[in-house]
Amino acid sequence: MSKLNETDIQGFVLRGYNLPFARYLFLHFEDAARARKLIGALLPSITTGQRWDGGKPQNTVNIAFTHRGLAALELPAATLISFPVEFQQGMRARAEILGDIGRNAPEHWEALWRENRVHACLGVYGISLAALDARCAELQALMDETHGTIVLTWQDAAAQVVDGKQTGKEHFGYTDGFGNPDYLGVERSTQPGQGKLMPDGSWAPLATGELLLGYADEAGELPVAPIPHILASNGTFMAYRKLHQNLATFRAYLEEQGKLYGGGKEKLAAKFIGRWRDGTPLELSPDSENQSIVKDPNRSTNFTYGKDADGTRCPIGAHVRRVHPRDAFGFQGKLIDRRRITRRGLPYGPFAAEDEAVSDSDDRGVAFMALNASLSRQFEFVQQQWIEYGNDARQGNDKDMLMGNHGGKGKFVVQGDGSAANPPFVCAKLPNFVALLGGDYFFLPSITALGMIALGVVDPR
Amino acid sequence: MPNQNGSVYGLTILSPILEDEKASPSHDLQIRKYLAGLPTGEDSPFARTPGTHLCRLVVMDDVIYVGAPSIEEHLKSKYLIFECNLDAAGDGGLERYLRGLAESIPEQLDAVWNHCVGYPGATDVLAFIKYMKACQIETTFFFAAVNDKSVTESLRALQTQKAVADFIARHQGMEASLLRAEFVRFAAKLKAEPLPKPGSMGPKRDIKLGGHNE
Repeated sequence: MSKLNETDIQGFVLRGYNLPFARYLFLHFEDAARARKLIGALLPSITTGQRWDGGKPQNTVNIAFTHRGLAALELPAATLISFPVEFQQGMRARAEILGDIGRNAPEHWEALWRENRVHACLGVYGISLAALDARCAELQALMDETHGTIVLTWQDAAAQVVDGKQTGKEHFGYTDGFGNPDYLGVERSTQPGQGKLMPDGSWAPLATGELLLGYADEAGELPVAPIPHILASNGTFMAYRKLHQNLATFRAYLEEQGKLYGGGKEKLAAKFIGRWRDGTPLELSPDSENQSIVKDPNRSTNFTYGKDADGTRCPIGAHVRRVHPRDAFGFQGKLIDRRRITRRGLPYGPFAAEDEAVSDSDDRGVAFMALNASLSRQFEFVQQQWIEYGNDARQGNDKDMLMGNHGGKGKFVVQGDGSAANPPFVCAKLPNFVALLGGDYFFLPSITALGMIALGVVDPR
Repeated sequence: MPNQNGSVYGLTILSPILEDEKASPSHDLQIRKYLAGLPTGEDSPFARTPGTHLCRLVVMDDVIYVGAPSIEEHLKSKYLIFECNLDAAGDGGLERYLRGLAESIPEQLDAVWNHCVGYPGATDVLAFIKYMKACQIETTFFFAAVNDKSVTESLRALQTQKAVADFIARHQGMEASLLRAEFVRFAAKLKAEPLPKPGSMGPKRDIKLGGHNE
């Protein structure tokens, strides 16, 4: 296929900005005409997917809409009912399918997500807090000028900065953000292990239609998309989930189990997710962290599980092996090519050093975002089958160790080889390390589509 | 043998449904109504039949005309489809299973198949077996999910897996001689446990009918 028109695609879809400060503003439209005027006024500020040849910008802006938001903008009814049903329903209505029950059920979510008022999400990133604030002030001025929206609330998030350098660490101490997929036509620095596995063992980009609407997907089909085509094309869907992290529970559990586990606490922490906390893949380095692997783009995501069928290096139920099983299900990895998601997002809340006292009630977690062409086929499948269930990984009813909604039950098996440093081990009575506080499904239109929405000329005929 | 893979048999039965203009509601509607009320999972009557891995009943009205340029075609009859993965290890195979069906749930079978052409009833077991075999078509491919194990073996394996995992979680790190004593006690207890009911070992999920799980 030819190169994508990067000037028509929101930048947030094509690349992780790697900017350390973020603010996600959640908007409510009271009047369609004024809201459309605001979108028109915002349009020149929206960051596109064009490469930053002149260096990183100070800040970025992107916008996404809920189905309710598109209805509030008075898109034609024939267009509104043509969106995929899960997007029309929104994430709250999908709670049972997603395993968002018990403590994670919508009744426990933050008020913002229990109500039906979120119409749009304005995502702003900055190279510094000052650059973020400056851009937010400009946006506020546009909102004041047009009276286009109410800001219901906002979510701040920020990367952990150590010695002035941005890190990819999340609150549990793991280095995050490896291995987003490559897609055909998207120019970015790629590395082996990020696309799809080919029969000869090499890696190739996934079909564009796994990320963007309007292009063929891995089955050679066009993803289910709203009409008209031009509204959908170059757009994508996003699941936003505010995930609170129970850091005290995590630390206490790891401490307690780490004393019982023969390989020690840090190795057990690595077994939970399949990477040492510095990011070293267990598959490549089962016994120790190794920064030379982490820093080498030809190695940090370049591995398969075929020679580790018993999970003695990376446990079969480890987080990274569940959510990106590579070749673990056989058929040369073919079974997973339509279940990939692109992840965005940043941690929120104060970082706590290992020796610092913490409480589960501290406001701390991650603003998680998944981008994909089909929420039901990609994000929802991964959440339902690979996070909240273990059958595909041959782990029975076991859920993902860190992300699973265990409710004090369930288990996680660390396969071992019988040696003293790598014994088998069972973690049982799993608490919920993560709590869902809310979120929703959003549509990220192309620049063309934003213009059509702003002008009120979306025409399904 | 295309109907069989190892010890697992993939049965496909197509029974023509009675066409009777005087029947009200029509026979296919009566089958649909009865099937819609049948329980699933461990309460399903088929869970009471020995050797059922899984099964499904479908009423097929006709082939659907999807518009030009396809050719409009119709079936000669409405059909009841019965698909079933069953244990066929050892002697008897399919016949043994059909006998088990007739003997364990005759009322339910009659309630469904009484609406089909030529059905002799489940009380006459030999006639029932002959009828079902006459309605059988070749399966060729079927869902393979049980690793060539019987229903009993699968249930026992799931029970053992869960019990052993729980035992390990409770006892790991225990001093060796104590662990051995605990394990001997555990193994004896497990051996004496009754077999779990078919359909009872899956995750407790609120399965909804009518396409609400997608």
